[in-house]
Amino acid sequence: MITAAALCPAPPLLARELTGADPVVPELRQACLDAGAALLRSQPGVVAVVGAAKPTRAWDGEARLDLSAYAPGLTGPAGGPALPLPLGLGGRLLDQAGYCGPRLLHSVGDDEPAQTCAALGAQLAAADARVALLVMADGCARRGIKAPGYLDERCADFDAEVERAVRSGELGALLALDAELARDLMATGRPAWQVLAGALNGQRLTTDIRYSDDPFGVAYLVASLGDAADH
Amino acid sequence: MADDAAPSGPARRAQGVLRLGRHAFPPERPVIMGIVNRTPDSFFRPGLTWDESAAMDRVHQIIAEGADIIDVGGVPAAPGADVDAEEEILRIAAFIALIRTAYPDIVISVDTWRHEVGLAACEAGADLINDSWGGFDERLAEVAAEFGTGLVCAHAGPQRPRTRPFRVAYSDVMADVLDQTLRLARRAIAVGVRPDRISIDAAHDFGKNTWHSLEITRRLNEMTETGWPVLVSLSNKDFVGETLNLPPEQRLAGTLAATSICAWQGARIFRVHQVAESRQVVDMVSAIRGDRPPARAIRGLA
Repeated sequence: MITAAALCPAPPLLARELTGADPVVPELRQACLDAGAALLRSQPGVVAVVGAAKPTRAWDGEARLDLSAYAPGLTGPAGGPALPLPLGLGGRLLDQAGYCGPRLLHSVGDDEPAQTCAALGAQLAAADARVALLVMADGCARRGIKAPGYLDERCADFDAEVERAVRSGELGALLALDAELARDLMATGRPAWQVLAGALNGQRLTTDIRYSDDPFGVAYLVASLGDAADH
Repeated sequence: MADDAAPSGPARRAQGVLRLGRHAFPPERPVIMGIVNRTPDSFFRPGLTWDESAAMDRVHQIIAEGADIIDVGGVPAAPGADVDAEEEILRIAAFIALIRTAYPDIVISVDTWRHEVGLAACEAGADLINDSWGGFDERLAEVAAEFGTGLVCAHAGPQRPRTRPFRVAYSDVMADVLDQTLRLARRAIAVGVRPDRISIDAAHDFGKNTWHSLEITRRLNEMTETGWPVLVSLSNKDFVGETLNLPPEQRLAGTLAATSICAWQGARIFRVHQVAESRQVVDMVSAIRGDRPPARAIRGLA
């Protein structure tokens, strides 16, 4: 079952080496590091990392982040397959938190319906008596005229609904998110949130929102879910 | 093929740290040398910094714009009214001391061919002797050795100081540049100049026609491959003016084009009038080369 969960966004710029001389978003990175550390305080038997990427499949737990596709001057990991970005960034957060235990890495495609996502969540939750779940998911990318997807005013309600579900712990609401609307709003995290909802399946955890902002027109939400004592 | 054709050419060496004054510049860090002329009659903006307070204002400005080295000169390169050593010292030594007081850490260079002037400059606090007439006065290297300063070893071809090239010809201008600058560097080491304070300069326009200066620009990699830090002094020079048919005050774009080509081939020190523009060009080329990250990258990464 799930002992703790963490929610982090997965923009490339979370990797410090991609933003050049300027750290750009140090507070976002710190919030993610804090969320990773809190996740491990739940003393998990296994950490599952889930992120939106095609196709839906499990990845080798030894595989690591490869930034070379984003900055050709950077070299990827020596050997082994390159992980999809959200899983690679999530895995790096675990590395940064000093986690050496077993990991389950799973991508989930943006064409997967809610019930498939929820079923994947249930499957991950059942992997161990103590599963910590790290969900790498981004909100809408059309939150302003400078945003990657320009402005779509429907983003405000969409992201607010996601944050409300996370904050209240009523994660079942995430299963109701409309996949087509999410695609329209470039909210790439939709299937990963639904994995989270399926993994918890009504189980209530307390939530600590560590970061919620959209400095570049993309909604980033960092949250820790678990027993209050672990936060 | 190239190796077969030049079996006795200089060996390729990796670039190392360049030490000047209190600074150690790694190979990937482009160094901007800003020009401050204490002359009434230099070719570019003549008399601009003849007045001492105007000269000091320019020092403040170019340091703010990103200059790493202040290059102080008291005699124009072109022929003209005679300036003897005594007058040259009057023009530059006290001014160098002023800069040193205002900026204890900035690298100060003296542009001279005379050892008496080099000596006075070093006593006033200079860190580098820019011997732009290519070892005309052999004792200049000894001054650099004595004071532990840097030395620029330049190629002036057959020219004596303050003379213009007259029908100068080379069978291979870059071969001559390499021959003269490397010989000067070896001699500098022999008299005690520290190797990590030596740089070499093809000296565009000096003892060269425009075709020669274009050729050494095109082939600058042959200098950088020697491992010596390469200084280029391109700023608003006649080879730019003749190439574009423009007067000195309209040569900035041409200068910057040549600057970027030299930076791409690994030149490390850029002697310039326009510091801010040059800094942008060398930083941009440095990032294209992969030597320097962008200042702030967000596009497509959010």
